[in-house]
Amino acid sequence: MRNEEPPKTSYQPSRGLITVVPLGHMKEDVLRVVADSIQGVLRLPVDVTHEVGLPESAFMSARNQYNVLDLIKFLESNHAGPSMKVLGVTAKDIANPILTYVFGTAFMDGKAAVISTARLQLSLNGALVSREQFLERVVKAAIHEIGHTFNIQHCHKEHCVMRASNSLTELDEKMSYLCDYCELFLADAVAEALRDRSAQPRQAESG
Amino acid sequence: MGRKNRFMVVDDELIVRESLAAWLEKENATVDRAESGEQALDFMERNLYDILFVDIKMPGMGGFGLLEKVKQFYPTTVVVIITAYGTVDHAVRAMKLGADDFLVKPFDPEGLGLLVTKLLEHKRLLEEKEYLKDEVIRVRGQTDEIIGQSPQMTALFEQITEIAPTESSVLLLGETGTGKELIARAIHANSKRLGGPFVPINCGAIPESLMESEIFGYEKGSFTGAIRPKKGLIEVAEGGTLFLDEIGEITPKMQVDLLRVLQDRTFFRVGGVEPLKADFRLISATHRDLNHEVASGSFRQDFFYRVNVITLRVPPLRERREDIPLLVMHFLKRFARETNRNVDSLSDQAMKVLTDYDWPGNVRELENVVERAVVTSRKRVIPGDAFAYLSPLQVCMPAGNGPRTLEEAEIAHIRFILDEEEWNISRAAKVLDVDRTTLHKKIRKYGLQR
Repeated sequence: MRNEEPPKTSYQPSRGLITVVPLGHMKEDVLRVVADSIQGVLRLPVDVTHEVGLPESAFMSARNQYNVLDLIKFLESNHAGPSMKVLGVTAKDIANPILTYVFGTAFMDGKAAVISTARLQLSLNGALVSREQFLERVVKAAIHEIGHTFNIQHCHKEHCVMRASNSLTELDEKMSYLCDYCELFLADAVAEALRDRSAQPRQAESG
Repeated sequence: MGRKNRFMVVDDELIVRESLAAWLEKENATVDRAESGEQALDFMERNLYDILFVDIKMPGMGGFGLLEKVKQFYPTTVVVIITAYGTVDHAVRAMKLGADDFLVKPFDPEGLGLLVTKLLEHKRLLEEKEYLKDEVIRVRGQTDEIIGQSPQMTALFEQITEIAPTESSVLLLGETGTGKELIARAIHANSKRLGGPFVPINCGAIPESLMESEIFGYEKGSFTGAIRPKKGLIEVAEGGTLFLDEIGEITPKMQVDLLRVLQDRTFFRVGGVEPLKADFRLISATHRDLNHEVASGSFRQDFFYRVNVITLRVPPLRERREDIPLLVMHFLKRFARETNRNVDSLSDQAMKVLTDYDWPGNVRELENVVERAVVTSRKRVIPGDAFAYLSPLQVCMPAGNGPRTLEEAEIAHIRFILDEEEWNISRAAKVLDVDRTTLHKKIRKYGLQR
């Protein structure tokens, strides 16, 4: 596993509508492209928090992977705060009880999503891909999972970022942006989420 | 976007249900979750499912029990069995019980995606197969409906076999009720166009003003009310057979329009500017003497030659009386089954009445007569008096206070025949030996009502 740099101190506890939570050590450029790309797509303020340790209970020792469903629950319970959505980003390999691996997971209309960079650095023959290609894959995975949290389903358009990608080849084949339809659906979903949010009684912010 | 698929995940482990359901929901699918086989069957009574993902090890009936029930009651529902690593023998047993595929936990996400795509295609083919099976039964059933062992019918069957594989236009001549549409369907069923549609049009039943738009279709805005384009029956018949029944009824203008289609094999929708390709085989039918119509100028000669490449004459029932007992028994069995009546034969006297009768309405009239007898019969063997109303004596006018003038007699007779034929204008016109237009005029003139 790669050595990640310690998190930069410039990151603050979340106050934005979308929160990116580094689960374990993550390089700054990864967090920046994730935050920037989500901010660009959703046109909502995105915050990046301090690094958070992965919960031991989510580790599946027999498979040497983290259970992504447990990670999602962990984020929802502990790090959502006043945010609309939370995206966990980890360099650890993740999976769920029925799949051997996932690049990321989100529940439809859920509060939290998680992506893993563990498998995104490799090419099909096992060599490392360029940093640029790696970051592009990270961006695709991040937008894709955040899209699901806004109830956007898999898209069948060839290059839409919401197209299902179960392999690196499929991930590389699609673009890092939404097709016209998904963009429209997402804009509607975001507007609705903002309306719901403003309709709710404002909770007192606790420290 | 296609139809939304409906899946069900059946597993007693919440985590498996949720993770698989979450994955499937992203594929534009509705996903239900059941924690037992019993609950799954309960759901299946309310919804139709495309694919079931079923865990083998569950309390209650378990995965195998559910699999057996599903394959028994919902054979087109695809079942995928989920097994744990190292229990391949379970998977083998599941496949023997009819499972469509199996997944060993944990499975590769790429494989799961491919599996779902493959199984949905499999399911589509299963449904298509069932549909085609029904269609074949329907088409064959209709062919089998043509009953006859008389020399005339045997010759007709031979002609059908001979001409069906060709592409030539066929003209069926025969009186009303002789089964011309069944013959046309038999020609279609034995032709290379069986895979295409059979589109029957009763030219006498479509008002003249609608005929053009029905046959050729129309473009949006071509007339008031044409708010969207509509395919004509010629387009619907693409790759199949177009059956124009009562072709003698169509107007001279429509004859010209159809002639152009038959010559050029192209046509325009009403209001359309783009020529469309016509790909159909034409079978027409009439009870009229078209040669006479051509001679009198009411039917175009060039159109007549186009539709009359091959002529088949369907004999009236009175010319093949030996087929009457066969037809009677065929209809009797069918109606007894359909109406759940305990009727299984006719007396010799009854059969003689039916065989001696002239059947102006032909097989259709015979069919109605037998249906009426079956429905009203209180005995297993239908007696001769059940058909007494077919006796010619019945039409005699009562003496004394009967009609005095010729017009009164005409009114009484028309009313009698209309009642007898249950106000079926075609059949009544046939019995009265006038055309339907004349009968309609008389009904209006005398203000006759049902």
